[in-house]
Amino acid sequence: MRSTKGMCGAQWLSACALAVGASLLSVSTASATVTRHSDSTITLSQAAIDGRTARDAYRAYVASIQNNEPAATASYATMRVKRIPAFARKYGLRCSACHTAWPELNSFGQQFRDNGYQLKNERDTPISQSNAYFPITIRVTPQFHMERATKQLVDATPGDGESGQTEKTLTSHGFDLSGMDLWTAGTLWKNVSFVALLSSDNFASFHFEAVNLRFDNLGDNPWLNLKVGKFELDNLISEKRFLFLSDNGGSYATYHFSAPGSSVDFGVGDNQLGAELSGHSLNSYTRYSAAVLSSNDGDPGSNNFSSYDANFNFSQAFDGGAMGVERIGAYAYVGQRPTSFQTSGGDAIAGSGTNRKTFYRAGFAGDFFLHKLEFLPFYLHGNDNAFLASGATPNEPLPDGARDASWNGGFLETHYYINQQLVLTQRVEAIRMSQQAFSSMPSTLGNVDAYSFGTRWYPFMYSRAGLAVHGEYSLMKTVSPGQTAEEGSTVNIWTSSLLFALDFDF
Amino acid sequence: MRMKILACVTLVVLTTMALAPATPHKAGGTVTGKVTYTGTPPKMKPIDMAKEPSCAKQHATPVMNESVVTGSGNTLGDVVVYISAGGEAGAAPAQGVEFDQKGCQYIPHVLAMQAGQQLTIKNDDQTSHNIHPMSKVNPEWNKSQPPGAPPIQVKYEKPEFIPVKCNVHPWMHGYFAVLNTSHSAVTGADGSFSLTGLPPGKYTVTAWQERFGTQSQEVTITGNETAKLDFVLKATEY
Amino acid sequence: MSRDARRIASLAGLGIVFSIISAAGVRAQGNNGLPREGQGQDNKIIKNVGRPAVGKVEYVRYCVGCHGDHGDGQGENTPWIEPKPRDFTLAVFKCRSTPSGTLPTDQDLMNTIRRGIVHSNMPEWRPLPDQMIADILSYIKTFSPRWKTEQPGTPVVVPAETPVTMESILAGRAMFQKFECWKCHGPEGRGNGPSASGMTDSKDQPIQPLDFTTSDRFKCGTTNADLYRIFMTGLDGTPMASFSDNIKGDAGWDLVHYLRTMQPMRTPEATIWKAWLATHAGELKPIGDQTGQ
Repeated sequence: MRSTKGMCGAQWLSACALAVGASLLSVSTASATVTRHSDSTITLSQAAIDGRTARDAYRAYVASIQNNEPAATASYATMRVKRIPAFARKYGLRCSACHTAWPELNSFGQQFRDNGYQLKNERDTPISQSNAYFPITIRVTPQFHMERATKQLVDATPGDGESGQTEKTLTSHGFDLSGMDLWTAGTLWKNVSFVALLSSDNFASFHFEAVNLRFDNLGDNPWLNLKVGKFELDNLISEKRFLFLSDNGGSYATYHFSAPGSSVDFGVGDNQLGAELSGHSLNSYTRYSAAVLSSNDGDPGSNNFSSYDANFNFSQAFDGGAMGVERIGAYAYVGQRPTSFQTSGGDAIAGSGTNRKTFYRAGFAGDFFLHKLEFLPFYLHGNDNAFLASGATPNEPLPDGARDASWNGGFLETHYYINQQLVLTQRVEAIRMSQQAFSSMPSTLGNVDAYSFGTRWYPFMYSRAGLAVHGEYSLMKTVSPGQTAEEGSTVNIWTSSLLFALDFDF
Repeated sequence: MRMKILACVTLVVLTTMALAPATPHKAGGTVTGKVTYTGTPPKMKPIDMAKEPSCAKQHATPVMNESVVTGSGNTLGDVVVYISAGGEAGAAPAQGVEFDQKGCQYIPHVLAMQAGQQLTIKNDDQTSHNIHPMSKVNPEWNKSQPPGAPPIQVKYEKPEFIPVKCNVHPWMHGYFAVLNTSHSAVTGADGSFSLTGLPPGKYTVTAWQERFGTQSQEVTITGNETAKLDFVLKATEY
Repeated sequence: MSRDARRIASLAGLGIVFSIISAAGVRAQGNNGLPREGQGQDNKIIKNVGRPAVGKVEYVRYCVGCHGDHGDGQGENTPWIEPKPRDFTLAVFKCRSTPSGTLPTDQDLMNTIRRGIVHSNMPEWRPLPDQMIADILSYIKTFSPRWKTEQPGTPVVVPAETPVTMESILAGRAMFQKFECWKCHGPEGRGNGPSASGMTDSKDQPIQPLDFTTSDRFKCGTTNADLYRIFMTGLDGTPMASFSDNIKGDAGWDLVHYLRTMQPMRTPEATIWKAWLATHAGELKPIGDQTGQ
């Protein structure tokens, strides 16, 4: 990896000086072309309007990409942060006590979080702290980045909309900001914990990323904890607390994948609204959770379909002796979405859905240490019911030939902790459709291959605030619908991100 | 003839006396002297033992704090005078030393002993005490000693000046002066000390007082003489 | 398929509701209201050999913020922490199974690390693997030369516990009076005895005697056996003395049983005590200065 000192040094300043003079292509363009899995609430409403055939579903999918519909959940603009210097200030521990390399948690940090952000030393309630202590934290990341996407459709003659379209590789680079996370978490009382996380995009437009209350250790029993609100699913490998930040690499493709044409708007990496019962052994080696969630992929408001999903997680860790703590887990998310609505004037009324069809995501995950090496394998099998996979029009029968869509995906992520202040990361990820919604769709449509690597250097590690000097390169190949040739063909679109960032946190 | 025998006997006796080794009445040299102070020492305050009535009633008048003990003529008591360098340490004496708790006071206030010498701690009061010598070089320990309990036997292996306190009766404090030598003395209120039985050699003699610090002087012993050595410590009010 | 999914979702929802209701009535698992030990890890024997060089890396990660780079308790957070973190350079430890003035065993140190210390900033480091703790311990021992020249003391023998009876509790109460525990801990165990104010520990930091009436755990354990060890070995570095010269064998259990009656949890001792008090309270001489009675 390149020397992290050099990253912030003079050599990059000179390169950036040139870039500053150049025009900045809108980052939203780059991010929209990067996000292959657009928010399908939009797709749904379009489908409600158009008369649908398989071909129409196909076209709607393509159109959503071309129209640069901003992705509500998968874009990098929503920061994923779960790392709180406020906790370090409250308890007098260094960041490294709870985090392997922040924001990723180590086994002690996992126990702290499972206890409801408590050390259980009878000093957890706010009354034990100085009145001046206020648990607030911000994280934001000024950066320089470069995005590139191949096979983008552009006018053959620039400026002439009638000149037809050709494919071109587009690159944009420049200085930028990440979104900001502004949040507070901790305890209201002994065994009553809370999280309130406001997250913004690069333009300081905020939304609620997580707001929840948790009753910890019900009956003085660590096996019973109840969390209510909007929260991250209890994934063994947390996307919110991982070590990648670039547009391409800053999310797990498997966590947000949507089958081509499917109307399911769900990702296991999206925070959900609901109630979760969870439990853990005293050292958090054994953990389980069972949650009931609204079928709205975590979007608050009336648009919750009066329908519920369920999520289950279980993991078991082992004392790996000199190698570290080894953990393996399994999960299953079973969701449903309505396919019939009451309408008014032909428009569907949100919240009135019936005739629910299911989808599920299930698989296993692990977290294995071999001294300074950490391996994070993940496997997912996904399946969307034919009604959902085909993006069928509500209140209409199933299109002919529609089938369930199913796929397998996974990744293997590796970290190498040179010391507690320097970590090298890499990830290999792949998603393979095993059955498309329609047999006429190319079998490889939607397949993803991704590769990322990076490094994080923490110049100082103490108990008050943090800074990570971050470098990352991420490359992704998505099998997309052919855009200039006849329907039924595919094209491989490559997107890449190069990121140098100063990730700081107070 | 009688004169000849008398002369021979006298000659034999005198020769025997001259050749026989002298049996010393006191072996080795002696260092003796007085410890005084200059300046103004702090005023000692009376101790209020109201929290321990069984001790309070043992004292007709309240006892004074013993941090600085003075006598007439600016003499200084409870000063440990000892050989800090020179000569051989030798084994610890078989005879032990005793530390007593009576009237909620430590008797003596300062107890000198050699490293490895047996220390016996007794409680002659009607109340429990806990013995808490606050050592840093030797292991720190803390034991309870109720009235009627057997004496505590302990040995300190490393030289150290150890403050001793009782947590139940916070006014009680004393010192164990664990030394590398058996040649030591603790002055009385008259400030006088005497170190005896010193083989010939060059010695450093040190005087230690718990508030005023230490002072060292050198002395050379050649035979059985008595060397005179006085110490003048600088008293400070605080 | 959708019906199944609906069933799953509603079952999960019902499960949560029922769990809430039953959880409200669930008491701590079978421990008489006492907090649980750490899944048996607290009493495991350390078989691992520690490696100081590896332990140093882990010490810097987990411990240095409080205990300092030199193990002297002067970490970056120390000015804001009360009580102060342990100074390893003196090798004086509160929580031991060994006599006062002796070094603790590796098991004692592991117990302290895993269990944490309540009412202090020392966390419960339960998830750390045995080997990692062994490595950290071997590094901590490099801070004091005592570990090279001394062996840990011989652990105090804790005999099998005697039954909890009123006789035992009353005998314990007599010991509380006789050994003058009340002088520091107060006649009711509130930590307000005549000698309690102005107490300092061996580093001249203010310290208070334990208030039994608000503590469901001790700094050095939670079980009756832990409590037995506490007054037998004393808490080195604090005013709490060792009573092993004067309390022998089963007599120690009497004191343990009495001390439990002062704590806020519902223990067998407290239950028997309260029931007896209801009819016999007048028979008791108040604890404290009894010379006038």
